[in-house]
Amino acid sequence: MNARLHTVPEQFDDPVQQREAATLGMWAFLATEILFFGVLFAGYTLCRVRFPDAFAAASRHTDMLLGTIETAVLLTSSCAVALSVREVQLGGRRLATALLALTAALGISFLVMHGFEYYAEYEEGLIPAIHYTQHGVYAHGIEIFYCLYYFITGFHSLHVTIGVVLLLVMAWRTWHRAYDADYHTPLELTALYWHLVDIVWIFVYPLIYLVGRAG
Amino acid sequence: MNARAARPQRTHRSGPRPPSLGSNLWTLAALLALLALSAGSALLKLGAFNEVANLGIAIVKALLVLTIFMRLKTDNALLRIVASAGFAWLAVLIALSLADALTRVSLLPPW
Repeated sequence: MNARLHTVPEQFDDPVQQREAATLGMWAFLATEILFFGVLFAGYTLCRVRFPDAFAAASRHTDMLLGTIETAVLLTSSCAVALSVREVQLGGRRLATALLALTAALGISFLVMHGFEYYAEYEEGLIPAIHYTQHGVYAHGIEIFYCLYYFITGFHSLHVTIGVVLLLVMAWRTWHRAYDADYHTPLELTALYWHLVDIVWIFVYPLIYLVGRAG
Repeated sequence: MNARAARPQRTHRSGPRPPSLGSNLWTLAALLALLALSAGSALLKLGAFNEVANLGIAIVKALLVLTIFMRLKTDNALLRIVASAGFAWLAVLIALSLADALTRVSLLPPW
């Protein structure tokens, strides 16, 4: 498997046109991903307008410190994967592979931290329908917040998991010289996917962790 | 004569040039600074401005990732259109849902 042996399929004029078609297709997919998470965010918005105080109370139950660290981890991983694409474009292989492995490791550490959060929420009785022990006037609204929380963060973690698998495959292939400055479209598309996962989290962070923190 | 052979050989090298190391690292530094600002401002009592700051900072962070890391700034303009379309439909979705939820008045039964 060598990038230099990569042939352009006959429907394309040249590698540039092939890359343009691939990135356009990826962006069309990413637009559907934006709307997939968008529905969950729209549901969140409506419920928050309906139960503003309960959402603030529920948000205070989340772990803001872990949430902030997780955000920093994902932002750093996004930079690492962007640098790895750059490195491949400049002809580097070892550093590019290392950066991809670093990105995957940061993704895994994100998942582990989120696992600890889920466990803490289980202990606190914040999992609707499974282990929910909240009482008081806001109990119903908090239940709705945590339903949305598990759907949003659960689907996000699923995306992170898929991203980690893709990144490891890309690291393996980069190490085995599948990509070089002339051909690296799959690596570029994987990086786009990972950045989108990062963008989703950029919005999850203030909506889940930062509500009602003042005072 | 074969038209393909006549065209000069184009490879990925003729696509968008990779961004500089500095721009990537500065973007990361800006993102982390904005994260700290976001966490800090959330702890201050700013009333409704808390939410404006939270979402405003998130939008700036997302734009940084989109333009620099995802290379929308230098890549094909068509990609910018597709990306904008995704967010535009999301804005329509949320705006129309909110327009319903915020303007609904509970009508008393006529009997």
